[in-house]
Amino acid sequence: MARAVTTQRKALNTLAAWTVGLLIFFPILWTILTSFKTEAAAIADPPVFLFFDWTTENYSAVMQRSDYAQFLWNSIVIAGGSTVLGLIVAIPAAWSMAFVPSKRTKDILLWMLSTKMLPAVGVLYPIYLLFIRLGLLDTKIGLTLVLMLINLPIIVWMLYTYFREIPGEILEAARMDGASLRDEILYVLTPMAVPGIASTLLLNFILAWNEAFWTLNLTAAKAAPLTAFIASYSSPEGLFYAKLSAASTMAIAPILIMGWFSQKQLVRGLTFGAVK
Amino acid sequence: MAKWFETHLPKIVLAPSFIAILIFVYGFIAWTAWVSLTRSRLLPKYEIEGFIQYERLFDSPRWDTAMNNLYIFGALFIGVSMILGLVLAILLDQQIRVEGAIRTIYLYPMALSMIVTGTAWKWILNPGLGLEAMVKGWGFETFTFDWLVNPDMAIYTVVMAAIWQSSGFVMALFLAGLRSVDTEIIRAAQIDGIPTWRVYVSIIIPSMAPIFLSAFIVLAHLAIKAFDLVIALTGGGPGYATDLPATYMYAMAFSRGDIGQAASSAMIMMLVVFAIVVPYLYSELRARND
Repeated sequence: MARAVTTQRKALNTLAAWTVGLLIFFPILWTILTSFKTEAAAIADPPVFLFFDWTTENYSAVMQRSDYAQFLWNSIVIAGGSTVLGLIVAIPAAWSMAFVPSKRTKDILLWMLSTKMLPAVGVLYPIYLLFIRLGLLDTKIGLTLVLMLINLPIIVWMLYTYFREIPGEILEAARMDGASLRDEILYVLTPMAVPGIASTLLLNFILAWNEAFWTLNLTAAKAAPLTAFIASYSSPEGLFYAKLSAASTMAIAPILIMGWFSQKQLVRGLTFGAVK
Repeated sequence: MAKWFETHLPKIVLAPSFIAILIFVYGFIAWTAWVSLTRSRLLPKYEIEGFIQYERLFDSPRWDTAMNNLYIFGALFIGVSMILGLVLAILLDQQIRVEGAIRTIYLYPMALSMIVTGTAWKWILNPGLGLEAMVKGWGFETFTFDWLVNPDMAIYTVVMAAIWQSSGFVMALFLAGLRSVDTEIIRAAQIDGIPTWRVYVSIIIPSMAPIFLSAFIVLAHLAIKAFDLVIALTGGGPGYATDLPATYMYAMAFSRGDIGQAASSAMIMMLVVFAIVVPYLYSELRARND
């Protein structure tokens, strides 16, 4: 609803919106600030905001823990791997539903999406047992596969909503000009689909990067990603707030930065394509 | 052969996704349903014994707490997130400067893992360090805020963090809805001298009913699935005061070695989700096929 708003009202509204924004951002900001404090300053009473001795000792302490690099690497491999695998399976499926729809296409899509609504606990135990039998428990391959499958409905749905915006006439025109199916996909469809694939990739990477339910349940030490690392770090009440904050900051930094530089994709991805 | 391949290609490329989802979702749900009818303990057994696991489940005070928490959590989380999301969307719809950036900031909590942002929340909610210490530092010595360690109130801290996480998401949905309302009608109402709040209450909000419904569905299933929030903030404690069905199931399966209980609780959760989602999908399908 666009209406004419006076300059003064506009400034007031902007101020209000940014105040709320600051409130919402506060927990994230606080984590980042705390990561630069000494352990003593982190639990100071009353709390200090900006005027403390800034230090990077927490970061070096966390980095020196021999296993941090391992957790980070696991996160990258699992999130990246499941995203790439998911796209490989989902792109053809979404292409087929968007450009060669049948009578059942809509039903299949809704059915796929509805499975994402079901609580993951319903399939946890059978997957757990299957993993024990196949020796996949606490392996990167196993977790990559599970996260790919878990997010597959979302990837297919997202890609479908993007592909549908590509006008079918262009494909027809290409076919009239004698393009084969291969040419059609390679030279016409792919270039137009890149933005949609990019934001699906971003969304899926975020989902996989943040995944806690499956990573906590299916990994122990070898294949555990950053979320498991932080969950293990945070057990004793308030013992290492500053170091925990440093580890947390490093875990959220990639998402914060990627999200900031691809705001449009982030918004569209997180709302499952509802907001353009 | 090539011709056959080209005509059937759409089905062939769809098949892997279709089969994967069919097996991994419905196949495994069927397995869970089966095990929930057996006497499985540490290891799954496959002789069907009837509904004993469900009887045990409904007799368990811990499950009772988990379900009660789900009602409290679900109602407050969905209600407050929707109201806050709507207010924020109306605020952002007033031609704000640098709207894109602020929209991203509102959405950040949704993009970050709760396991990670839970650190900050634990600090804020910690009586000795966070909000309580801060307000006491301002001179209000009698101020107490110990919900995190108070068994009767701890579930409300989970609600707070969940609202923080999701209201930006609801805001984005509503904002898109506000933008799609027909401006002609609004202008006509304004020319007739109808006050702005009446325009919102009587015209704009009713026309967004479908968005309310989708927001409700998304929030409801998030509430039922809520797991990492509890793990990050309270670990289900104090005691089991903040258990939700998902953490109950997790505790049964992995620390108590009681697969039968885990399976039956998973089935109940599934039924609740079905009860909410199926009517919605059915109406969606009907609307599309008409």
